[in-house]
Amino acid sequence: MTPDHAIEVDALSRRFGAFTAVDAVSFDVGRGEIFGYLGANGAGKSTTIRMLCGLLAPTSGDAVVAGARVSTSPEAVKRNIGYMSQRFSLYPELKVRENLEFFGGAYGLFGRHLNTRIAETLDRVGLHGHAEDRTSSLPGGMRQRVALAGAILHEPGIVFLDEPTAGVDPVARRRFWSLIRELASAGTTIFVTTHYMDEAEYCARVGLMVAGRLPALDTPEGLKATYVPGDLFVLRGPGAHADDARARLLAVPGVVDVATMGAGLRARCAADAHVRGDALAAALPAEVEVEPDTASLEDVFLAVVDAEAQARGAARAFGEGD
Amino acid sequence: MRRFLIRVRAMAYKEALHIRRDPLTLYIGLVLPLIMLLLFGFGVSFDIDHIPLAVVDDDRSPESRALVDAFTAAHEFERKGSLDDADAAGDVFASGRAAAVLEIPEGYARALARGETAEVGLLLDAADASSTTAALVRADAMSRLATARVVASAVPGMSASGGLPVSAATWTRFNPAGRSALFLVPGVTAYVLALVAVLLTALAVAREWERGSMEQLFATPVGRLDIVVGKLLPYLAMGAVQVLLVLTAGAWVFGLPLRGNLLVLAIAAILFMLGMLGQGLLISVVTRNQMVATQASTLSSMLPSMLLSGFMFPIANMPWPLRALSHIVPARYFIAVLRGVLLKGNGWTELWPDLVALLAFAAFMVAVSTARFQRKLA
Repeated sequence: MTPDHAIEVDALSRRFGAFTAVDAVSFDVGRGEIFGYLGANGAGKSTTIRMLCGLLAPTSGDAVVAGARVSTSPEAVKRNIGYMSQRFSLYPELKVRENLEFFGGAYGLFGRHLNTRIAETLDRVGLHGHAEDRTSSLPGGMRQRVALAGAILHEPGIVFLDEPTAGVDPVARRRFWSLIRELASAGTTIFVTTHYMDEAEYCARVGLMVAGRLPALDTPEGLKATYVPGDLFVLRGPGAHADDARARLLAVPGVVDVATMGAGLRARCAADAHVRGDALAAALPAEVEVEPDTASLEDVFLAVVDAEAQARGAARAFGEGD
Repeated sequence: MRRFLIRVRAMAYKEALHIRRDPLTLYIGLVLPLIMLLLFGFGVSFDIDHIPLAVVDDDRSPESRALVDAFTAAHEFERKGSLDDADAAGDVFASGRAAAVLEIPEGYARALARGETAEVGLLLDAADASSTTAALVRADAMSRLATARVVASAVPGMSASGGLPVSAATWTRFNPAGRSALFLVPGVTAYVLALVAVLLTALAVAREWERGSMEQLFATPVGRLDIVVGKLLPYLAMGAVQVLLVLTAGAWVFGLPLRGNLLVLAIAAILFMLGMLGQGLLISVVTRNQMVATQASTLSSMLPSMLLSGFMFPIANMPWPLRALSHIVPARYFIAVLRGVLLKGNGWTELWPDLVALLAFAAFMVAVSTARFQRKLA
């Protein structure tokens, strides 16, 4: 293991009976990196994260997390990581401070050191003054930050976040992500699963899971360049509503793909074709407004799922059900 | 080791907070045992008291009236009226006006005067079989007593107590008033403790599975032994409070005595509770679901503790398969200790086999539940 890798995953697999939830996945995560793990529900994200946290034994393959092998020394892994599960599992009838005291105690913190860490951590996640609040009385966004506080109380080198923003409003999500970035810039490695594509843009690198496999892994820009190459245009107006608009656009040389987007159409053109916006407008029978567009990770995701489905002959994206 | 203690302390403290904050747990833990004690103590009674009695006196002699007085003097039977004919008994029973009919035939006084045994008839409404049996025993004892007294007055020099049947004497040995509350309260104590201990731990652990906090717990360095010990300690403390509460209430409300070794009782209570808590833990570890855990714990603790422990039905009277089965019901041993210490004044010498049995059950349950406690998720 190289010292600059916080996580090294080597052909990690997990089967449940005949079903393969995670299929020979390999990747590395650098220290202080924000690593995003994307995929549809049931693609194997949670199973992967559980194996990396020492909660679930791999069927084959292995991973080294914070210097310890998950297959042979899961307890050593647990001591050195923080884990925030999908349903951030705080005890609602306990106060914020009591929840943190409990998780601190679980990691062997106690006494004055524990109290100092609780105060520091609450400050850090912006919950100063909420220590005595009953956890059940807090709004979802705040509860989520309490859960994060519980996961970083013992100053772990790596924090695993399993869909941390599920069910939290956009403002709280943004705030949470700025916390995550602060943590990472202070040197903590962040491994986060999500199915919000916009959140994945915050990650230094993104792995895309489809049906238990990891076919795509790169920076968000790299993924877009690989999977959604070329120029994108959005067309809006009466011309885009014509019945044969799609066919007409596809007939324009260089146009690779046309999809509906909102009330209009979105056309992807090969990069070397240098298609211009007015060429697209001219192909349509009525007036249309053309604007260049940029690729999103959602485009990447769809492209990857498509490519995988073609590679397998059929799209099978149902998983272990999380 | 120090880390283990820190983790156990954190678990136990958290669990204690849960208990304190959860009204349902407090209710099940502290109020329910008292309610059950009162319900069983007052409601379930094998005492025969104020059985409504109708009298058919065909003899109409001072002796026959003396017999009726003897029947009604101790309040076991209460005279509700007279009938002309014993054939009317069915109607009286059906209407509920009486549950017993005493028929004294003509010639009763004359038979006594000749020094013969006089026969009287007692018709009982056998719809309630257990009180019928108890009433028969009583009636038999009293008629013999009354007849003896009459015989004694007629034949000088005969002892009045000579006719007392043996069964009446044994009944009153450690329970002079023959009060079934005294017999039942130790049983209720074990029963309630079993039910509450199994139910509360089962719920406490199943809840963590359901909420998903168990997964969070498993991602920390907290080990299964930490979880088991941390979960059991606060409930053990709560169980100790329950025992004190129930026994105090038993003493106060039902006049339950304390005649034997209190230390033996305390040790037995702790071992019994450990076993029941372990059983609850095992149930929740296997079911991982509050609904199923509730049903499994009530069934597995309530029924054996009530039916196979000697609480309601004497073990000696059971058919042999049930008697054999009762050996693996821990409540059996705890009830034996409770009755022994409270009513009979027993100590180590008499009760050590029961303590050993309780220890074995507790060790088995805690060991199996800890072993079954998989810290992996799948």
